[in-house]
Amino acid sequence: MDESFSSLPTSHLLGSVPAVVSEEKTATKQEVPGANLQIFPPNNSASRGPGYQNLGGTSDGDAQQSTNNWKGVFSISSYTQYFNVDTDLVLNRLISSLYPISGDFSSKIDANPDLYGLVWISTTLVFVIASLGNCATYLMHRRSDHSTSWAFDVSYVNVAACSIYGYALIVPLAYYFLLQYLRSNASLIRFWCLWGYSLFIFILSSFLLVIPLEFLRWTIILIAGSASASFVALNLRSYIQESGITVVVISAFVLQMGLAIFIKMWFFA
Amino acid sequence: MARNQTDNDTIPLHSTSQSDIDEIENLINSHSSTVLPPHTSLASIPVSSTPPPPSSSIPSNLPQPTNPKPTPVPPVPSTFPQLPPRSSESGGSIPVSGFGSPPNTLTEPIWDTVKRDLSRIVSNLKLVVFPNPNREDPGKALRDWDLWGPFFFIVFLGLILSWSASVKKSEVFAVAFALLAAGAVILTLNVLLLSGHIIFFQSLSLLGYCLFPLNMGALICMLKDNVIVKMVVVTVALAWSSWAAYPFMSTAVDPRRKALALYPVLLMYVSVGFLIMAIN
Repeated sequence: MDESFSSLPTSHLLGSVPAVVSEEKTATKQEVPGANLQIFPPNNSASRGPGYQNLGGTSDGDAQQSTNNWKGVFSISSYTQYFNVDTDLVLNRLISSLYPISGDFSSKIDANPDLYGLVWISTTLVFVIASLGNCATYLMHRRSDHSTSWAFDVSYVNVAACSIYGYALIVPLAYYFLLQYLRSNASLIRFWCLWGYSLFIFILSSFLLVIPLEFLRWTIILIAGSASASFVALNLRSYIQESGITVVVISAFVLQMGLAIFIKMWFFA
Repeated sequence: MARNQTDNDTIPLHSTSQSDIDEIENLINSHSSTVLPPHTSLASIPVSSTPPPPSSSIPSNLPQPTNPKPTPVPPVPSTFPQLPPRSSESGGSIPVSGFGSPPNTLTEPIWDTVKRDLSRIVSNLKLVVFPNPNREDPGKALRDWDLWGPFFFIVFLGLILSWSASVKKSEVFAVAFALLAAGAVILTLNVLLLSGHIIFFQSLSLLGYCLFPLNMGALICMLKDNVIVKMVVVTVALAWSSWAAYPFMSTAVDPRRKALALYPVLLMYVSVGFLIMAIN
C-alpha cells in the first residue's frame, strides 16, 4: 500500500508543507503525521483519527523518521491508538472470527486494528486450557481407573503460557518479515490482530473438549482447528498481491492446524 | 491516625537514643531559622509557624541509622518501594526537613512505626472491601493508598497456596505470585490503554486490597478439605472481591468500554479462585 501511495503527488495534502513536488522524501521530513499504523513503534503525538493515517505518503524505512519514532516507545499515550475500541466493536469482531469462509475480516479491521483482542483472548486461552486440561485429564484417567484422585498439575499453566503467548507473538512477526521480504504490503498490527482473534474459537472448543470421549475430542479439535486455520488463511490472502506465493497461505493454515493438534495432545490427552 | 508523640515524654529513652537526640539537636540548632516541628519535647528549639508535616510516614521511610527494623511484615521489598505522595512540600530544606516532623519518629519505638503502618492497612481495607458510604466515589476511596497491604496479601495468598499443594510447592508459589503481581500491573495498564483515568499506584493498591476475601477463602480451603465447602467458599470470596473492585474500575473508563475494563479483572479473580479450589 505504501509503495503505491509514494508515487502519488501527495505533498499538497500535508498541512504545513511547502509545495515542493520534486523530492518526496524531503517533503515528508517536515511533517510527520500523528500516527501512521504502518510504522511501528509509533510516534508520540496522539492520532488524529483513523482517516488521516495513511495520507501524507510517508514511506516506511526513512532513516530520519525512524529516529523520531523511538521517543514514543515508553509512553502509554502512544499505544492507546491500538486500543481504540468499544465493547460492541470487540464483540462484533469476536463473532465474525467464528465464520471461517467469509474473508472480510481483514477489511473490517483495516481502519482500526486493535491489540486488545490479541492480549486478552490469548490470556483467556491460557487460563482455559490450563484449567480445563487438568479437568479433562482427570476425567480421562477416571474412566480407565476409578480410583484416581484429583491432582492439579501446575506445569500446565507454564506450558500453556509459553506456547500460546509464543505462538501468538512470534508467528505474526515471522509472517510480517516474510511478506516484507517478498515485497508485499504487510502490517504488523493487523497481523497480530488477525491471529489474536483467530484463537477465540479454541476457547469455545476447549469447553467441549472436557468430554472424555476420545473420538469426540478428535472430531471437535479437527473442526475447530480447520475453522481457525481457514479463517487465518483466507484473510491472509488479502494481503498478498501476487498469486505465486500461495505457499505462504498454505503454511499459515498448516501452522494453525499444528497448534490445534498440539493443544489436544498436550492438554486434553 | 493518632500520633503517639506525647507518649515519648514519659517513655525513658534507650541509651543509644540519647546520642541520636544530641546529634539532631545540634543540627536543628545550627539551622534554627528553617522548618521545625511544632510538637517538641526539647525546650531549646524555637517553634516555627509552618504547617505540620501531614504524617510521620516520611522519616519512617528513611533508613534507620541505628535501629534496624525487625518488623513482622516482610522486610523492605525492593519491588514495592513505598512512594510518599504527600512529601512534596517537605522539599524545602532537605537536611532539616528530613527530620522535619519531630525527631521522635526516628527514635520512636519500632512498635509505634509498625502500629502506624498496620492501622493504615486496616483503614484502607475497611474502605475498600467492606460496605461504607464512600464507596461510590472512587477518588475518595483510596486517597491514602499504600503498597504494604497489597504486598502482604499477595505473599500471604501465595504462601497459603504453596502450603496447600502437595507437590511442586515452589512452582505453585511462583505461579500464584507472578499471576497476582503481574496481573495487577497489566490490569492497570489495560485501563490506561483504553484511555481511562486512574492513577497507577492507586490502582495497584486497590487491586491488592481486593484480594483480602480470596485470602480468607484460601485459608478456609486449606483448613477444610471438602469439595463442596471449597466450591461454596471460593464462589463467595470471588463474588466479594469482584464487588469490591467493580466501582473503582467501572468509573475509570468510558461507559462504552466498561466491559472491556472489567472483564480482565474478572478473569484474574476467576483464575485465582480456580487455583485455590484446585490445589490439593
